[in-house]
Amino acid sequence: MLKKIAIHQLPDLASGLMGKGTLVAPVRQDAGFQFREITDAKQVDLNYHNTVISPKSVFFPQTEDFVRYRTGRPMLEAETVEPEGKPLILFGVRPCDVKSFEIMDIHFSGTGPVDPYWQARREATTVIGYAFDLSATAEPEEFYRTLGIGAADPEGSDVFMVRRGDELLLKSITARGEALLEAIDDLAGASADDGKFFDDTVAAGRDFKTRFACVDAKAVTKKLEDLFHNTEFWEKAAAACLSCGVCTFACPTCYCFDICDETLFGRGTRRRVWDACMFTDFTLEASGHNPRTKVYQRLRQKIGHKYSYHVRKYGVISCVGCGRCTRYCPVSVDIFSIVEEAMKT
Amino acid sequence: MRSTNPYIPMPVEIVKITDEVDTHDIKSFRFKFLNAQDEARFQYLPGQFAELSIYGKGEAPIGIASSPTELGYVEFTVQRAGAVVPGLVTAALHDMEEGGRIGLRGPLGHPWPIEFLEKKNIVVVGGGFAFTTLRSLVQYMLHGDNRSRFGDITVIYGARTPGLLCYKDELAAWEKRSDINTIITVDKGNETWKGREGFVPAVCKEVAPSPENAVAVICGPPVMIKFTLPVFFDLGFSKENILTSLEMRMKCGIGKCGRCNVGYRYVCSDGPVFSLAELEKLPRDF
Amino acid sequence: MAVSFQQIEERLRNEARRLLESGEVSLMLAWGKGYDENHPMPYVAKCPSDADGIVFNEYCTHNMARYLVRYPRGTRIAIAVKAADSRAVVQLIQEDKVKRHDLVILGIPAYGIRNPKTGEVVDGRTTCGLYNPVLYDILIGEEVHGQPASPPYTVLAEYEAMDKEARFAFWKKELDRCIRCYACRKACPMCYCDPCFIDQSKPRWGEKSPETAGNLMYHLTRFHHLAGRCVDCGECSRACPVDIPLYLFHKKVAKDCEAMFGQAAGMSIEDKPVLVHFRAEDTDNILK
Repeated sequence: MLKKIAIHQLPDLASGLMGKGTLVAPVRQDAGFQFREITDAKQVDLNYHNTVISPKSVFFPQTEDFVRYRTGRPMLEAETVEPEGKPLILFGVRPCDVKSFEIMDIHFSGTGPVDPYWQARREATTVIGYAFDLSATAEPEEFYRTLGIGAADPEGSDVFMVRRGDELLLKSITARGEALLEAIDDLAGASADDGKFFDDTVAAGRDFKTRFACVDAKAVTKKLEDLFHNTEFWEKAAAACLSCGVCTFACPTCYCFDICDETLFGRGTRRRVWDACMFTDFTLEASGHNPRTKVYQRLRQKIGHKYSYHVRKYGVISCVGCGRCTRYCPVSVDIFSIVEEAMKT
Repeated sequence: MRSTNPYIPMPVEIVKITDEVDTHDIKSFRFKFLNAQDEARFQYLPGQFAELSIYGKGEAPIGIASSPTELGYVEFTVQRAGAVVPGLVTAALHDMEEGGRIGLRGPLGHPWPIEFLEKKNIVVVGGGFAFTTLRSLVQYMLHGDNRSRFGDITVIYGARTPGLLCYKDELAAWEKRSDINTIITVDKGNETWKGREGFVPAVCKEVAPSPENAVAVICGPPVMIKFTLPVFFDLGFSKENILTSLEMRMKCGIGKCGRCNVGYRYVCSDGPVFSLAELEKLPRDF
Repeated sequence: MAVSFQQIEERLRNEARRLLESGEVSLMLAWGKGYDENHPMPYVAKCPSDADGIVFNEYCTHNMARYLVRYPRGTRIAIAVKAADSRAVVQLIQEDKVKRHDLVILGIPAYGIRNPKTGEVVDGRTTCGLYNPVLYDILIGEEVHGQPASPPYTVLAEYEAMDKEARFAFWKKELDRCIRCYACRKACPMCYCDPCFIDQSKPRWGEKSPETAGNLMYHLTRFHHLAGRCVDCGECSRACPVDIPLYLFHKKVAKDCEAMFGQAAGMSIEDKPVLVHFRAEDTDNILK
C-alpha cells in the first residue's frame, strides 16, 4: 500500500500516529537531533540527517531497571520490573539504523537466552523507516554502502518513507505496517507515478555513493584474527584514541552493558547501564588482573568485536556504517579506515 | 514472568557457613532455595557457576562447589575479594550469618564435559581456592551411582600452607578411600603437618600420572597453571585432554553483556570450561 | 598571520625529521591526516619517515599535551603546542607528571584555529584566547604581538549575572544531557587520575547511570578537581558529543582562582600548583 501526505501536514500525521501508540521520532534538541518520545505533534522534525545517539536506545535504553527495592529491607520485598510491551511507533529511522535492529536481534533474542526487555519492546514496535536524501551527497563519515546497505533500503521497516518534493510517500512493507497506514486518516492515495518514484528511489539508494569499497566479511574476519598479535599495527592505530565511550554510546550496534546496584536515599535499583569496552575498568577482574590495560588492546577489542568476532559468532559484521563513531570521536579516529589499513597490512 | 527473565535472581537462604581456612577469608556457604520450583529448575553439573546476588551490593559469579549428587542444597566457596578491587558482594556475604537471604542466578556456563570424561582415567589438579568446581567434580564422580562410569581417579591438590587447604574433612575422607588416589601437598608445612611438601607442578611430575586414556582437569592460580601445563605435556597428555576453567570479568553470565569475550567466544556462555586445544585457537586476550 | 599554516606544517615536518634522526627524542606528538582535510587527528611520529605524515591546518584543535602521560617517565618527547597547549605542558611539569628536560617543545603561535565540528573559530570564548605559547624550545612561526582579540573571561558576563538558583538550574539542565561517555575527562590534559574517583566502587562517589545525581557528582567534582589547574584549552567542551558548555564552569573557577591567588594555571614552570601551595598571605575568601 502506498500513501502520501504533504510535508506541512507532518504534525497531522504525527498526531494520527500518537493515537496508535507511543510515538518516538527525531526532535531537534540543544545538541542536535535525538529520538524522543513525542508529547506534542509539532515536535517531530524531519529536517535531520541523522540523530546523535542511535535509535537502539528505544529498545535498549542506556539505563534499564530490573529490580527495585528499599535498602535494608528483606530481599523478598523487592519488586521485579517487568519488560514493557506498550505499543510504540518509531518514526523516521534511517535505513542503516533499521539494519542495526536486525543485527541486535540476533544477539538479544535470536541466540541463547532471550533478553526479555529487548524482545518485548521490539515486538511492540512498528518501525517507520525514512530514506536518506539522495539529492544530497552522503556525509564524509558514512559508509553504509560498504556494508551492503542502501541509502533507501526499505527492508526491516514496517513502513518506509521517501520524500518527493513537498510530499512524503509512505509505503507499507509488512502487514503490521499496512494495518497502521490503513488506520491513519490524513493520508491520501498515491499515484502510479508516485509508485515509480518510490521504486526508483529504492533502486538509486543501492547505487548511492558513500566512502570505501565493499568488503568481504570473511576476509576481514580472517585478516583481523591474523593481525591480533601485531602490536605495532594496533599501537599505531590507537595512537590518537582517547579511550572514551563516545563511539560505543553513539553506535547502533554496540550492546555491552554493566549490571549495577544503585542506591540513593534508601531506594535501590538493580539495573543495567550501557558500558564500553573502551573504559579501563571494563575487564578489571576481582583479583586485580586486567587483560586490557592498554588503549591499543581496547581499540583492538572494539574493532575485532565488530568486524571479526561478531562475524564468527553470528555471521554478520556488527556495523552498519552510520558513521556516528567517527563523527563524534573527539580525535576523529575512523574505525573503517583502520579496517582498510588492516586489509593492506 | 520470573521463569523467563534471566536477570532476576531466585531467593535462597544460608543454611550453613563453613570457615574453610585459617586466614578466615574463604568460607563455604550452603544455600537452600526458598521456592521449590526454583530448586527444581536449578539443574546443574560440576563446572558450572552462578551469580550470587545481593541487592544494594551487586552480583558476583562464583563456581558451584557442591555436586548435584548432594541433594537439598547448593554450596559455594567464596573468597572475600578486596586486596586490589573492592569486592562488595563477597564482603557482604562474609558478613552474613546462617538464616540470611540472598539471590542466586544460574546455573550458568558449561560444565566439565562429563560424557567426554566417562570411561577415562581422570587426573584432577587444583591449587588453593580454585579447587571449588573440582571438588564438585570429584564428589560427583565418587558418588555410588557414578563411580563405575569413570576409570582411575587421581587428585593432586595443593595450597600454600596446611591452614589454607579447603574442604579438610572431605580430603581426609578421600584419603581413606581405595577408589581414589588423593595426593595433598603444601608449599610449606608447619610443626603439625605430616604430609607432603612441594609445589603442585613438582608433585605432578613426581606422581607422573599416565596419559593413557586419561584427561587432566586443572584449576589454580595462573602461576600454578603456567608451570603445571608443561609437566602434563611432557607426560604425554594431548591438548585435547587437558581441561581448565577460565576467569574473566563477568556480569550477565548469559552471553549478553559483552564483557567476558576472548576472541569470538564468551567465557560465560561458551566456557568457562575449555580444553587447551580450544584455548590455543583463541587470541591471547585473557 | 605572517606565517601560513602550510609553512608551519613544513617546519614541523623538518623539525620532526631532524629530532628523530639525531635521536634527540624518541617520538614527536603533533597532528596527522584524518579521514578528510577538515579532520586532522593527533599523530605520533616515531621515526624520521613518519615526519611526512605531520599535518598542520586550521582544524588542528587537539591539545597534544593530553598524550604526554601515556609514555613512561624518561621518554624523550618532542611536542608541538599552541598557546593553551603549552600551558598544559607547563602545568604537567609543575605537577611533576613530566620532566622539563625530557621535552623538546615546539611552540606555534596560531590564531584562526577552527572547531572541526562547528567550523567556529576557537578563541577566548571557549579557550584562554592567547596567541603565543608560554614555553617553547623551538618557535615555529612568529610570535604575535598585542592583546588577544577576545579576552578569556568576557564570555562569563551572562553566567555571572545569574544568581545561585539560576546557576544551579542552568547546570542541572545542561548536565542532564550528559551520557557519561567521559570524553571530557579523556580529552583533558590534566585529567590523569587512575582510577578516576567516579570509577571507584569503594567508596562509590557517584552512580554510573546518566541521571541527575550521578551527573552532578561527576561533573561538579571534576570541575573542582581542576580548580587552579585547568588551562582553558577547551578540549573538554569540543570533545562533548552533546555540546555541554563545560568551559564556562572551568573559566569561572579559573577566574576566581586568579582573583584570589594572583596566579593562572600553567603560565610558568617556576609556579607551584596554586591549591597545593600554602602561603600565609593567601586569601580566606575561598571558605566563604
